[in-house]
Amino acid sequence: MSGREVDPITLQVIGGALHTVAKEMGHVLYRMSYSSIIRESEDLGAGLFDADCNTLCESDSTPMHIGSIPAYLRGINETLHDPWQPGDVVIHNHPYYGASHSPDIAAVAPVFFDDKLVGFSANTAHHVDIGAATPGLIIDVPDVFAEGMLFKGVKLYEGGERNRALWQFIETNTRVPDQVLGDIEAQVASVELGVKRFIELLDLYGKDTVFAATQQLMEYSEAMLRRRIAEIPDGEYRAEGYLDDDGRNREQTLPVKVCVRIEGDSAEVDLTGSSPQVPTAFNVPFEGSTKVACYFAFRAMLLDSATISEHVPQNEGSFRPIKVIAPLGSIFNPKYPAAAEARFNQIQRVVDCIAKALGPAIPDKVTAGCSADVSAIAYSGVRPEGNYWVFIEVNEGSYGGRPKSDGPDGIEELMRNTRNNPIEDLGMHLPLICDRYELRDDVMPGAGEHRGGIGMVKVQRYLTDGFLTHESDRHEDAPWGFLGGGEGAVARVQKFNVANPDKIEELPAKVHNLRNLKGDCIAVLNACGGGYGDPLKRSPEQVREDVLDDYCTIDYAREAYGVVLTDELKVDAAATKARRGEMRG
Amino acid sequence: MTKIGVDVGGTFTDLILESDQISRTAGGVVVHKVPSTSEDQSIGVIRGIKEICDMAGVALSDIEKVVHGTTVATNAVIEYDGAEVGMLTTRGFRDILLLARGKRPHNFSMQFDVPWQSKPLVKRRNRIPISERIMPPDGSVEVIMDEDEVRAAAELLKKRGVDAVIICFIFSFLNNAHEQRAKEIVKEILPDTYVSCSNEVADVIREYERFSTAAMNAFIGPRTSYYLGNLKNSLRAEGVNAEIRVMQSNGGVTTIEGGSERPVTILMSGPAGGVIGGKWAGDLSGVENLITVDIGGTSADISVVPGGKVRIMNPRDTNVGGYPILTPMIDLTTIGAGGGSVAYVDEGGAFHVGPRSAGASPGPACYGKGGIEPTVTDAQVVLGRLDAEQFLGGGVAIDPKLSAKAIEDNLCGKLRLSIEEAALGIIRVINSSMALEIRANSVAKGIDPRDYSLVAFGGAGPLHGVALAATVAAREVIVPPAPGINAATGLLATDTQYEFTRSVLIGISEADQVALDELNRKLDELVEQAGEALVADGITPEKQNFSRIAECRYAGQGFELRAEVADGLVDNNNKQVLIDNFHEAHRCDYGHAFEYQNIEIITLRVIVAATTDRLSWPELEVGEGNNPKNAVMYARPTTFDEGETVDTPRYDRGKLLVGQTVTGPAIVIQHDSTTLIPPDHVAEVTAFGNLHVSAKL
Repeated sequence: MSGREVDPITLQVIGGALHTVAKEMGHVLYRMSYSSIIRESEDLGAGLFDADCNTLCESDSTPMHIGSIPAYLRGINETLHDPWQPGDVVIHNHPYYGASHSPDIAAVAPVFFDDKLVGFSANTAHHVDIGAATPGLIIDVPDVFAEGMLFKGVKLYEGGERNRALWQFIETNTRVPDQVLGDIEAQVASVELGVKRFIELLDLYGKDTVFAATQQLMEYSEAMLRRRIAEIPDGEYRAEGYLDDDGRNREQTLPVKVCVRIEGDSAEVDLTGSSPQVPTAFNVPFEGSTKVACYFAFRAMLLDSATISEHVPQNEGSFRPIKVIAPLGSIFNPKYPAAAEARFNQIQRVVDCIAKALGPAIPDKVTAGCSADVSAIAYSGVRPEGNYWVFIEVNEGSYGGRPKSDGPDGIEELMRNTRNNPIEDLGMHLPLICDRYELRDDVMPGAGEHRGGIGMVKVQRYLTDGFLTHESDRHEDAPWGFLGGGEGAVARVQKFNVANPDKIEELPAKVHNLRNLKGDCIAVLNACGGGYGDPLKRSPEQVREDVLDDYCTIDYAREAYGVVLTDELKVDAAATKARRGEMRG
Repeated sequence: MTKIGVDVGGTFTDLILESDQISRTAGGVVVHKVPSTSEDQSIGVIRGIKEICDMAGVALSDIEKVVHGTTVATNAVIEYDGAEVGMLTTRGFRDILLLARGKRPHNFSMQFDVPWQSKPLVKRRNRIPISERIMPPDGSVEVIMDEDEVRAAAELLKKRGVDAVIICFIFSFLNNAHEQRAKEIVKEILPDTYVSCSNEVADVIREYERFSTAAMNAFIGPRTSYYLGNLKNSLRAEGVNAEIRVMQSNGGVTTIEGGSERPVTILMSGPAGGVIGGKWAGDLSGVENLITVDIGGTSADISVVPGGKVRIMNPRDTNVGGYPILTPMIDLTTIGAGGGSVAYVDEGGAFHVGPRSAGASPGPACYGKGGIEPTVTDAQVVLGRLDAEQFLGGGVAIDPKLSAKAIEDNLCGKLRLSIEEAALGIIRVINSSMALEIRANSVAKGIDPRDYSLVAFGGAGPLHGVALAATVAAREVIVPPAPGINAATGLLATDTQYEFTRSVLIGISEADQVALDELNRKLDELVEQAGEALVADGITPEKQNFSRIAECRYAGQGFELRAEVADGLVDNNNKQVLIDNFHEAHRCDYGHAFEYQNIEIITLRVIVAATTDRLSWPELEVGEGNNPKNAVMYARPTTFDEGETVDTPRYDRGKLLVGQTVTGPAIVIQHDSTTLIPPDHVAEVTAFGNLHVSAKL
């Protein structure tokens, strides 16, 4: 690397150009793809990397993907058979070689400049089905081989030449070849574009200037984060929670223990004490997922894009101040060949526990407990013509109350931020119909000066027989309240048949390949966030507004907030004062 | 014929008057600017119209047409100041507007705002579920609508005194019978309230976007229709009997009634006028491939117009204030880069210009109105490109010392640069932001800027034009004759235009005769509907031009692109035209087409336009020679982008004649805009007064 310093103006210009390239790569990928999980949900990441696998820029798409690609690149470099050459496109998804989890396949193209390998153009995207043991998602499987096709540094294009045998192999080994092949085509188009733009940038500004600038941009992002970490008093901050079960051993809850050590401007997240690895797919790949979750937590809390006006570039610099420890053999760092596909609920809880641990030190930067889960649900079946349909849906969670505002309701939280699928679009194409999609009304969110967000309920009805796999959690350990706020509400899953809607069966959060009949309905009711601050500090008028909007019942207003309403739904000031006095004791 | 275009912006209301009562030697056209009146835009509009008529010597009663660009509808959204709306929706789906697409606006944030939750277009209490159910894919009724529930809901909303009611049922794009029946019932109970169905406002698949469009229409409806009605009455009271038209987001105009009925169609009224004005300027010189760049005080609007046709934005991206709006809008991007963009160094040492803006108040430091942070305008002043006494024709007092002080105090120390270097840095960064956005709208969509002319306008556009064209490799810069009021010019340069859509779902690749018959029938219905709309405006059938568009995607994809349908009935032979058009549109947007894939049509759209007489700009006198001496005002040291400071002559644009050229370094000054011609560039004046600036060969 060149030692010379790039002036702040050129730096800003190159930073802007890199940001635009990443955006353009993401755009091509989701617009061109076929599966709803990529094109509607935008479950993808894309960017440029230097030859040392440092992130130079990344699309602002889904947080889970952002920061995961360097581990893929290192895994590829470790496993690639023949050296890189111009025109290559490699695919890779091996969870023990850096992949985030196996359905997130990376496409990577090398960037050559003056005949030298100078970097990579890469993206990752969640594929609907890679031929795992069950359609779309898996829970209760014995090992990593049950996850489906595993690619370890495999060339899909070699020197610009299409590896036809590999394409044919993929086509043969997925339940939905049209979608998977179409999505991989989109990934290839996106990385090719990235290569082209990267070279244009090098041509325009010169290699030395560009790489000197990228180093400085990383240093800048790093410095911005370190500055915020340094404001937190040194010390150990601990929090814990627990997960329902591993999807097989239903009585066994799984502890999540987080210790955050702040020392000067560095932070260490130690997950020692968390559950040992489990015998199902409910483990977390360490490099591609556990570490990424910890990076996310600090960036979201300390470089909150809603409260700081500067655009801090998304690059390697923001990962450097964070060190992550998880003992080998634990749920956050499993040993080969354990399956590790269903990892999202666990990492959401890591983020949630980091916030919980640091909350007392930085109460203005956290939220109360979020749903901090995922409801990833694979509906599938076989059409009369004999081909599979597979649809993966991600149901929204909720946020905990916040220092200055209520927790958002029914929304993608923390590491996930995908779009939902239009009900009407799905209805036109799938033997599945949505019967209900709104906020839950069976529970109340955590009460607080700022209340927790309300989880959503979604009911999907099978119009033909089919299968269901659900990857979720939070049926037992409710989201935490903060600074006097109340606990949120746990999630639940129900099954009933449309012909007999009152006969409801409660299901666990993790459901593995459940067979459903025509008319069977699956209701997912997601968790509600915890409250932030003393509910008695919420203004009675605001509580009344909540009652008018059915965010709060009249009884709950009285019980949790001490607000008494008249028959005309006006605040009864005297009764409220009395009730609040009584509650304060 | 006397016509007036009047465009209301954040700071100024721009006007243009064209009349055959003004002698050609006097120009035939008058332009004017008055301060905008934000409390009631019509006050400024009327004042401006009276003044411009005085200037032109035209009586108010002689005006035959007024075309208006307004931000009233947009402001209602931005200020969250709209109607109390009631909503009847399918039971089980009360929170479609709240859940939206589930995606939060920030990835890395805990304290983000969710506008559609914190500022709902319809409060949850007013979203009332109704038992009813239409089923896909054929629109059959699974649950018959409970009319008693509809009545009870209407009574409740009546009691609450809502201003408008919308009816939004799931799958109504397949069968609107329930929505229509519910509307009848609500109308019986609330006869004087504005009631509309989602299917009437936007007949398209995708429940959230359709409901949001209907909700927005109702939310901004009363305020917008009150404004438009009041404007009309006020004009009538002043003796103006002209027909009044309003610019729509799609670049066509509608009537006062049309804008009141469907205010969602005029949300991007102002920026659309700018793009049309840019296209008009291209037409003056016979140039078809254009990149329009409209740079104002706080933002820049960028649009690409290939082959003389404005592009319509992908419906996935049409939103205002975070709320999706499914109405056709000109494909343009707005970025926070303008004359008022603030330059600063953050705590990590990074240098930023914008998106924060000093706006009109306090404005740039040089205004002396209390702004102490340096802006892009301050940088131009320091570099000697904006002369104090010429600013807005001398109408605004500026103090160059304040510009220099703001840069020195805020930037020089932190950047370790001189005042001049820092000023050049500000220009470089802001130009880079705009150039990246231009590239994202051109190169990224398969358009090669080398075949394009960049039309630079807005008060600040002509100062940046040449640098932007050089960065994106556009072939030249066109500066329109009146760049400061170009959006108003656009108002007199457009057509009356309406669009009608119908949701369908037809696999065109494998369509049988039954499907094709249905397609033809629906297209005919839309053509008929569109024709009637123009006839109602008094436009006879021979003046109507139709284009028939199918919005298609590859089966399984999520986003549609527009493809033109061949003339005549669609049959198994000519449907290939449509299919080829779609492949081409896909190739243009994504660089790839999947020729072996089946294509499905999602929406049919018929656009009808009536050609009206376009603004005819007076031809200038023919002159000759390079750097005409009689146009030179004076010369002053001016610093250009490469850092060289040269004694640079100022030319009075009003004195430049056809065929004359001005060689850089030079600055061309006119009332509300300044054109920068760097060394090694030459500007040529064309017949209608466009300045074409290009690199000297």
